[in-house]
Amino acid sequence: MAAHEILAATQAVVTLDVALPGTVWPWLVTVNMWAKSIGTGVIFMLFLLLRTHPESGKQLRFLTAATAFVFINIFLLFTLADLHQPFRMWHIFFHPHWSSAITWGSFMASAFLGLLTLLVFLSYTKKDETYDKILLWTTILAIPVTLYTAALLSQCTARELWQMPAESAQMILAATLSGSAAMILLGGNKLSYEAKKSMGVILGLSALMAFIIYMSEYVFGPMKAEEIAATIEYIKGDGPYAVMFWIGQWMTYILPMLLIVLSRASKSESILKLAAILALVGLFIVKHVWLMIPQLLPMS
Amino acid sequence: MQLGFLVDLHLCMGCKGCEIACKVENEVPLSTWRLRVKYVDVGTFPETKRTFTPLRCNHCENAPCERICPVSALHYLDNGIVNIDKERCIGCAGCVMACPYGAIYIDPITQTADKCTYCAHRIASSMMPACVVACPVEANIFGDLDDAASNISKYIQRNQSNVQVRKPEKGTNPHHYYVGGGNVSLNPLASQRNEGHNLFGKITTLPVGGHH
Repeated sequence: MAAHEILAATQAVVTLDVALPGTVWPWLVTVNMWAKSIGTGVIFMLFLLLRTHPESGKQLRFLTAATAFVFINIFLLFTLADLHQPFRMWHIFFHPHWSSAITWGSFMASAFLGLLTLLVFLSYTKKDETYDKILLWTTILAIPVTLYTAALLSQCTARELWQMPAESAQMILAATLSGSAAMILLGGNKLSYEAKKSMGVILGLSALMAFIIYMSEYVFGPMKAEEIAATIEYIKGDGPYAVMFWIGQWMTYILPMLLIVLSRASKSESILKLAAILALVGLFIVKHVWLMIPQLLPMS
Repeated sequence: MQLGFLVDLHLCMGCKGCEIACKVENEVPLSTWRLRVKYVDVGTFPETKRTFTPLRCNHCENAPCERICPVSALHYLDNGIVNIDKERCIGCAGCVMACPYGAIYIDPITQTADKCTYCAHRIASSMMPACVVACPVEANIFGDLDDAASNISKYIQRNQSNVQVRKPEKGTNPHHYYVGGGNVSLNPLASQRNEGHNLFGKITTLPVGGHH
């Protein structure tokens, strides 16, 4: 039974209660997810480029490591800023509770940052052979680093919308989408047109798959659970996040897909860059909407 | 020993005595509540009735807040109470996001998570929780669920067909029961929340990040 049908049946109105707590995880957490997607995504793309377009990939070792380093630091900084007791962050390392995805994420992200720092140093000192060996382990570690947020969201038992299978796929796709978009923008003259086309294909396919998952949740999610139905209402009709949701879907997925097809037909790098910019900006909006809407539900 | 709560909603008259006793006993800051009584009006005039539902931490056997806490600030006591160590808490608010009952809040003074502890400090001194003592109609029944002779166990046995927990589908196994509850009183999605239902209109909202 849909939420509005339940309300019609009960004709019940809360006449006295405390105020709803409002947003608990604000935009700082959106920045966390967005920056982490870029930081891990560019590593995935460099690993791929070194195997498929080595001449282009070799020239991007330093730039990629530096970009990942910056974005993972942004991710960690905003995670810290979101804590109400940021100076107690060290408790995670000295009193770890291993059932929590936050604990695992903190350790893995710290190790990932360590590897990125090493990559920056190795690329700066031109030790390419060691760089490529470390890059393999960095790429492997980037997978759980980008996935841990899906586990964290799933541990939020109160927020039915965030299910591990869908969120895991969305986190990986966010990384491949933002990583390929960032590479298209970063590559400049160092990235061959063929390599840029490959990045465009990854961007387009990531957008397509992520869009399919969001639309599936939008249409079929409400059929699964009462709470999901009530949550999806916030992005339907006159819902408070309906406009932002669709702006995000168009900017991140639909327009980039169309622009990539257009750029291939017209062999235009400018159109490809426009698709990349839209995807990067739109991803922030998409993530923000999905973070906010379950927080609007009354829990008690 | 597994301590638990049972509220007989047939008896509760919405006096909010438990709510005030809790605030005083635990020095709960303004704008936050460990326990509150929700009023829901049902039906259309003149066929209306008002329900009262005291809401507090459910001290779940399978507590999502305990699982998500990265520093074990939320932890189980041997008697089943889900307790909180405010000195350990880093204020990540993971527990607030995880609790399906909205029972955890960020204390605006300490900037750490806080919630009902079944008055663990009073239990340790063999006293009843403050809300139990304050209730004028003994609607709050507290005791050992493992002891078949305890008041709460007997109450559950006597009302077997009418004992409910909130959101059983979440698999949290709450140690907090209701007698005489229904969809309207226990399911937050079964009632509308119009503007003006709040206890206080102007609530102090928490600042973003670690402001002390």
